[in-house]
Amino acid sequence: MAEVAIQTDTVSAEPILDVQNLAVSFRSDEGRVRAVVGVDFQAHRGKTLGIVGESGSGKSVSTKAVMQLLPGNAVIEAGSSIHFQRSEGGPVDILTLGKNSPAMRAIRGGDIAMIFQEPMASFSPVYSVGNQMTEAIRLHRAVGHREAREIAVEMLGRVGLSNPATQVNQYPHELSGGMRQRAMIALALSTRPALLIADEPTTALDVTIQAQVLELMGELQREFGMAMIFITHDLGVIAQIADEVAVMYLGTIVERGSVDEVIRNPAHPYTQGLRAAIPDLSSIEGRLIPVGGDIPNPLERPRGCPFHTRCPKRIPGTCDAESPAVTTLSPSHSVRCYLAQ
Amino acid sequence: MEPLIEIRNLKVHFDRVRAVDDVSFDIPRGQTLGLVGESGSGKSTIGRSILRVQNVTDGSIRFHNGAEPVELTTLRGQRLRDFRRHLQLIFQDPYASLNPRMTVRDIISEPLTANGLVRDTNQVNQRVQAMARRCKLNVEHLRRFPHAFSGGQRQRIGIARALVGHPEFVVCDESVSALDVSIQAEILNLLMDLQQELGTTFMFIAHDLSVVAKISSLVAVMYVGDIVELAPTRNIFFAPKHPYTSALLSAIPRINPSANFQPVKLPGEVPNPAALPPGCRFQTRCPHARERCRNEAPAWREIDQDHFVACHFAGELALRGADDSLPAQALN
Repeated sequence: MAEVAIQTDTVSAEPILDVQNLAVSFRSDEGRVRAVVGVDFQAHRGKTLGIVGESGSGKSVSTKAVMQLLPGNAVIEAGSSIHFQRSEGGPVDILTLGKNSPAMRAIRGGDIAMIFQEPMASFSPVYSVGNQMTEAIRLHRAVGHREAREIAVEMLGRVGLSNPATQVNQYPHELSGGMRQRAMIALALSTRPALLIADEPTTALDVTIQAQVLELMGELQREFGMAMIFITHDLGVIAQIADEVAVMYLGTIVERGSVDEVIRNPAHPYTQGLRAAIPDLSSIEGRLIPVGGDIPNPLERPRGCPFHTRCPKRIPGTCDAESPAVTTLSPSHSVRCYLAQ
Repeated sequence: MEPLIEIRNLKVHFDRVRAVDDVSFDIPRGQTLGLVGESGSGKSTIGRSILRVQNVTDGSIRFHNGAEPVELTTLRGQRLRDFRRHLQLIFQDPYASLNPRMTVRDIISEPLTANGLVRDTNQVNQRVQAMARRCKLNVEHLRRFPHAFSGGQRQRIGIARALVGHPEFVVCDESVSALDVSIQAEILNLLMDLQQELGTTFMFIAHDLSVVAKISSLVAVMYVGDIVELAPTRNIFFAPKHPYTSALLSAIPRINPSANFQPVKLPGEVPNPAALPPGCRFQTRCPHARERCRNEAPAWREIDQDHFVACHFAGELALRGADDSLPAQALN
């Protein structure tokens, strides 16, 4: 009996999404661009994983791989795996499914939903918001047209639109930016996904609307118990919404851990540099401390630690020779850096 | 503070939409005025009006260089073209704002040649190289085309182009918002250094309030076409007098949120600028609105030295600033 109890316990702590050793490269005229280089991350029910990174860090590519939304010139390297626990039908390795297979189409938008930075680009301009929502709901849930429409109106109300019964008939251009972003969240959540991937969902929004959207996402997460992956370049947003954070640089996770540990006590020189470069309201006078240097061209990926070309603490002969292994600093904090070893 | 630009009763209307609705303020010489507010509040329209790329409906923009102030709104033809050398703009997107078919040298030199400031090619080259060095660009690379540069380097090219002719006044419209955080700090430092060296006056438009706090000496807060508060940066951020400013500050995501962190929730939506509510334009969402706010538009008044606000109850309300280490009751 005890054994059974232990087993059920481990099952509930099992991640809903388990990405192992994911490597993605792109074929281009100038050669092979390695966008993601052996990345592991997990998403848990009711929890939010924040992924922080700048342009070219591979944060969007990693999550698009989960949705099988990568463009045709992308190659997922052998040895990568993306295990997902479907709510019906048990665990699957997403990478073994065809891009357009029935299972993948059921997962994409059904079990896993995604929202993007620019809501105008994610809605079709020629159909009303309600039309697009009912289409998605009926694709993924066994309901009739009328019921789907009721769900759509209810979800628009849940995300705080003032007059959902009217707004459901409006076209995307008739809504303001903040309303559109909330309508997109309603669309994504109307299929009751087990995992929501949000790629810079608040970056284009004004601060007051950003605050509303973040609070709303937290509320809906608590209500539906879904797992969330939140991609952003803003450490302030991460501090507010995430439980765990992974910091990416040039296709590698350089540091990860609980938000408290990584943001309060960053161990990687890149995370430390990012923190110092952000203007802080507690010291508004004086100069900023830039990270220095530029993000390398992805075609000329540096040898060794990817950050060594900009790192103020690099050890010549070590950091530029071999990529550092993961060092565990605490049960919930790890870093890839020779200085931590 | 000696003004470089005095703006009085500026109005820019697009049919019934009042994009800028009777705005008056000064921009002090050699300093940076930050302009914040939500999208659609009229920030860029003010910047574009001063640059004379937007016609104004009414009001006056007086520019003080030389003995006699120049009224910008009525400048026409050759006099306007001659005046343009004093005005410049740094754009948001370093990928869209550089001509891909021009070399970097030609891009940076264009304000000098187009405005007829320097005619001798050697002198043009010297000026371009000097400004490129100041902007930390490699002079060896001036013959290259923009595609060979990273986002941060491109933005430095855009800054070099804007400042090569030593303009008096430069509008930075979201000039660092498209950059990665690790690059953004460097560009902000560069702008502050160049201002010190050249004495340029900047108007810095941005939606990122922490960035604005860093670079500005004064900050103006806009709400649907009107400036509701203007004060020295420290006052705006730590002793705001307008409820909208306070709500904006409360919504900035904090890296180290304290237990007191709580964004002020503004009910409803931003009003349609073609159908503003009666009285104060913020009354439909203001947590402190009273009867008077619904009937009477508040006057623009100086509540403290250099601290201007448009609110009937400014000074009476307990408002919190960006410093949320204090509980709300401890303020005022």
